[in-house]
Amino acid sequence: MSSAEKYDAAFVETFMLEPKDLAALKYQEVESWDSVGHMALMAALEEAFGIELDIDDIIEFSSYEAGKAILAKYDVQVEPVG
Amino acid sequence: MNLLPDLPLTIRVGGPLDALERRPLRPYAEPVLSFLSALSKALLGRAEVRDHPDIAAFAFWCRPANLSRLSAELDRRHARIGRGLVLHVAPSNVPVNFAYSFAFGLLAGNANIVRIPDGFAQVEIICDAIAALFAMPDHARVAAMNRLVRYPRDDAITTALSAECQARMIWGGDATVAHLKQLPAHPRCVDVAFADRYSLCLLGAEAVLAASEEALADLARGFFNDSYLFDQNGCSSPHLVLWQGSAEASAAAQRRFWPALEPLVRDRYPLTDARAVDKFAHLCRTAGTVEAVRGAVRHDNLIYRIALDALPVDIERHRGQSGTFFEHVADGLEGLAHIVTERYQTVTCFGVDRQAVVDFVVERGLLGIDRVVPVGKALDMGVVWDGYMLVEELSRIVHSG
Repeated sequence: MSSAEKYDAAFVETFMLEPKDLAALKYQEVESWDSVGHMALMAALEEAFGIELDIDDIIEFSSYEAGKAILAKYDVQVEPVG
Repeated sequence: MNLLPDLPLTIRVGGPLDALERRPLRPYAEPVLSFLSALSKALLGRAEVRDHPDIAAFAFWCRPANLSRLSAELDRRHARIGRGLVLHVAPSNVPVNFAYSFAFGLLAGNANIVRIPDGFAQVEIICDAIAALFAMPDHARVAAMNRLVRYPRDDAITTALSAECQARMIWGGDATVAHLKQLPAHPRCVDVAFADRYSLCLLGAEAVLAASEEALADLARGFFNDSYLFDQNGCSSPHLVLWQGSAEASAAAQRRFWPALEPLVRDRYPLTDARAVDKFAHLCRTAGTVEAVRGAVRHDNLIYRIALDALPVDIERHRGQSGTFFEHVADGLEGLAHIVTERYQTVTCFGVDRQAVVDFVVERGLLGIDRVVPVGKALDMGVVWDGYMLVEELSRIVHSG
């Protein structure tokens, strides 16, 4: 799986969403991405990429788009699929 | 090694007591990390955990990335191994603490017998998840080393278990801790006690006034989690709110902060009739007995605010529950020097320089205050718990020289 596919899979599996709904996704805007869902997402991303997210980055991780820039700091490049 | 005696206790998770594997492992051993990681994942994936942020916080705490961060902080100057068997007498009023206590025993490399509390959905959810993992061959070693048990308060049972263990984790009020510590154990047995603690919150009035709507909502949510999640029973849950700033700014900040908290409490905090009665009775009693009480503001039954025009030295003895907060306005930290004793644990802060608070505690030689953290982080515990380095306490050094 590419990084982009792993990134999308973490959201899809954690929040039970369709891939088409991801691009505009923001924290607290769908029911499943609440504070508990956030913890599950962060754990899923850490596992998928073998990284340890800094607490400040966990707090700043406020949307699907913003997350890509945060992961770039951990040398994870999430390029658009296809 | 002796077999454990057959005791009249109920085993909630794990095999019979006499089959307990008591040979310790090294701290942060692979079977333990693999078990706790699996537990984290299992809990975060369960739908009912959405209703229990305290379980989610535990699951998030024992995820692999955090365990590896904790492991990196272990003192590795000498070889270390678990002490053997740890008996945990978990608190009866905070549902998830048994799980942290258990996890620290495991991380240090020990076998564990954990006395778990009754009457909490959270306890059952976590126990079910642990039992499911114990049934898997991958976790056979960890399963063999651990039992989660229930028994009524019974000195005979605690004494029989104490005789066999190398460390005890004792949670409870001062009286419980003192009582359990005097039950005989091996002279080498290490007791780690978590007694009553008292915590407070420092809010910067100007910062509350300047906060964006979003930041205010985060602050209210953080304060709610710190306070209401365990019904103000957590050692680190605030009972006293000290406003830092002028009287005018603080009054305006109070008018902004408390109404932001109110809807959260209304939506998320189930106030039973019995708790509501206790809460009101406490308010009446306090108004009659604490001289510095200037008045009280009630936000329905959700939030009780008791205004103090001075800080009584014994304020920690008047703590309430179920959302009862003493409030005092002061510019500067000087008031802390008059009230803080060894009982004081956590200071949660918003709009206040946390390092300045730490410096104040150290420079003034205060006997208490172990943690200074942002509002919302009261219940987040790292490798240092209540002033203890727990993995170090619960393991021993094998020294060559």
